[in-house]
Amino acid sequence: NTVIKCKAAIAWEPKKPLSIEEVEVAPPKAHEVRIKIVATGICRTDEHVISGAMTTPFPILLGHEAAGVVESIGAGVTSVRPGDKVIPLFAPQCGECRSCRSSKGSLCIKNDLAAPCGLITDGTTRFTCRGKPVHHFLTTSTFTEYTVVDESAVVKIDAAAPLEKVCLISCGFSTGYGAAVRTAQVEPGSTCAVFGLGGVGLSTVMGCKAAGASRIIAVDINKDKFAKAKMLGATDFVNPQDYKKPVQEVLVEMTGGEGVDYSFEVIGHTETMMAALASCHMSCGTSVMVGVPPSASQITLDPMLLFTGRTWKGSVFGGWKSKESVPKLVADYMGNNINLDALITHTMPFDRINEGFDLLNQGKRLNSLFINLVCKYFPLNYPPNIEIGTYMQ
Amino acid sequence: MKTIGKSLSIEEVEVAPPKAREVRVKIVATGICGTDDHVLKGSFPNVDFPVIPGHEGAGIVESVGEGVTCVKPGDKVIPLCLPQCGECSFCLNPNTNCCLQTHLYQSQNLMPDKTSRFTCKGKQVYHFLWISTFSEYTVMPDSTVVRIDDAAPLDKVCLFGCGFPTGYGAAVNTAKVAPGSTCAVFGLGGVGLSVIMGCEASGASQIIGIDINKDKFATAKDLGATECINPQDFEKPIQEVLVEMTGHGVDYAFEAIGRVDTLTAALASCHRGSGVCVMVGEPPPGSQLSFDPMMLFTGLTLKGSILGGWKMKDSIPKLVTGYLQKKFKPDVLITHNLPFSEINEGFELLRAGKSIKNIFIDF
Repeated sequence: NTVIKCKAAIAWEPKKPLSIEEVEVAPPKAHEVRIKIVATGICRTDEHVISGAMTTPFPILLGHEAAGVVESIGAGVTSVRPGDKVIPLFAPQCGECRSCRSSKGSLCIKNDLAAPCGLITDGTTRFTCRGKPVHHFLTTSTFTEYTVVDESAVVKIDAAAPLEKVCLISCGFSTGYGAAVRTAQVEPGSTCAVFGLGGVGLSTVMGCKAAGASRIIAVDINKDKFAKAKMLGATDFVNPQDYKKPVQEVLVEMTGGEGVDYSFEVIGHTETMMAALASCHMSCGTSVMVGVPPSASQITLDPMLLFTGRTWKGSVFGGWKSKESVPKLVADYMGNNINLDALITHTMPFDRINEGFDLLNQGKRLNSLFINLVCKYFPLNYPPNIEIGTYMQ
Repeated sequence: MKTIGKSLSIEEVEVAPPKAREVRVKIVATGICGTDDHVLKGSFPNVDFPVIPGHEGAGIVESVGEGVTCVKPGDKVIPLCLPQCGECSFCLNPNTNCCLQTHLYQSQNLMPDKTSRFTCKGKQVYHFLWISTFSEYTVMPDSTVVRIDDAAPLDKVCLFGCGFPTGYGAAVNTAKVAPGSTCAVFGLGGVGLSVIMGCEASGASQIIGIDINKDKFATAKDLGATECINPQDFEKPIQEVLVEMTGHGVDYAFEAIGRVDTLTAALASCHRGSGVCVMVGEPPPGSQLSFDPMMLFTGLTLKGSILGGWKMKDSIPKLVTGYLQKKFKPDVLITHNLPFSEINEGFELLRAGKSIKNIFIDF
């Protein structure tokens, strides 16, 4: 097991583009796995780190939505072998902690989400660049040709799975889809509202539809996003900027004064979290927080919104127990039961990763320009050329 | 009896006969709930004065208006501070108990025809939550009264009008406490103690009672609390104490006081990945809850609970029957029995933390 030198995109400091450089990737230690990344997408959470909304230590190797092939394993690794197709898991599953042992829990103690430290299990890192250690990101780090993860953060998938598609199961698709089918457990015939129509929001729309919702109200300030939402199952469309009154009042009126059964906030802003809560039925509505809130933010609301009986819950990685569920979701894709292709709009070579982030951000800033979800990937037959995927709203 | 300011004035009132779909009830026993105290202090929304408060009572039907079929004169009944009309969309929805006729949606200060059945010294007196149990006779719509077992002792089962089902249901219906789990209950009044009973009945392995009044600990332990702590005994915030005590936070936390600071503490004391925090106490109007949304994002659930999630007409009679079969023992909550004429002393005892449930009889 030797050190691998390869290409990676490093974030040296916030608010700066990623820098494509050579990194040294140490061999996996005990219970670790080194993975050759074949395809990776960009998720808004990666952008949150660059913008400073999510606090992490720097320098850091971002990326957490990917698929690849095992290159080598450390001592004691039993669940994967070199050559296996795998998906890295930013929501690990160690199988032993309280969350893993509970049927309800999906936040394994090995996660690095709440206050990211950027280190692998033994408190060190496997990456160096220009002689300096580089932090890991959310137990994965996929903007690199090779990465090292803990065994709890990787799972073997179907050998026939197309990695350039199923990388979306590593984050965006599963997060949104699971928020509906697993966290909220949307019931047939119910009404849903989805705030935010990026990749995750569109996956939530798909989840609501799969669960049999009778009405799915898509909410976004960018009306160019409505067409795809409609294609994926949304029945009504609301642009809050078209109304003087708060959007929750609009949604309550649209639902005969009752509010929706399930609302999803898939943006990550405290104001829309409140609006989503207030749009659900005051006594038996459930609101799910899917978008990552900014670090150290505070949400302030009238507690009466809850007193009447609303349920408010968060959802990480769609509430899926990752190791158990990811292979099944891949199998669902292979069986044509889930639509990932709808989320993929671009593929680009790795060297253009910053352009990918620009596309992501333009979708946010230019309301008239609708940039579809983009996935770029590394084709297996081009080992030296790392291609990365940009996947965004 | 009516209220002006902070104490009640016991007087003679005229109680008109029940109109169509109304019932006149002779109240035999009534308790005081924290909510009645909110009324006296002026912090309960949409109350008009003068008013006859009281919403936790039990009695006997004296007469019924036209069209009433659910009860008849002589029936033992419990007035329901949360109605169940059976016809609105919420009553038809199996997942909620929040009938549209509750005070949260429309005023219950007058009968549905917008007139009052009470006069005192020639002036109109308002109803409270349509039931007004601090009166020897009261009139209420038929959506707010339900017949109970003839064998039920009215001086005990008045607790089933509010305090006991609110707390017990928060645990068994709203939270659905799972066997072997850990629970924290903030506030050891009548409702908090009923939450403890619900957690115990659900098989929780650890039930931590939290109150700044340690005199409440003994009863809490009798009812199933495995330990009780006083936040004033610690320098660090109580949520940190609870996380340390349990290693990772509790599975279920209940706030049964009605304050946003304790609600935030309850939320923060839950297990990050799968904890459930239930808001039972009603916060004062205009208060604001503030917390780091990361707590929810990582997997916590925060829910409100009214009247323990029970659909009242369906559930209260069954709870009373369960009491007669000795399935629960809320009698422990009854610490005082005072004659009705001493009702103001009852409020003093409540405010001083010296009583749990004071049941007034002997009108």
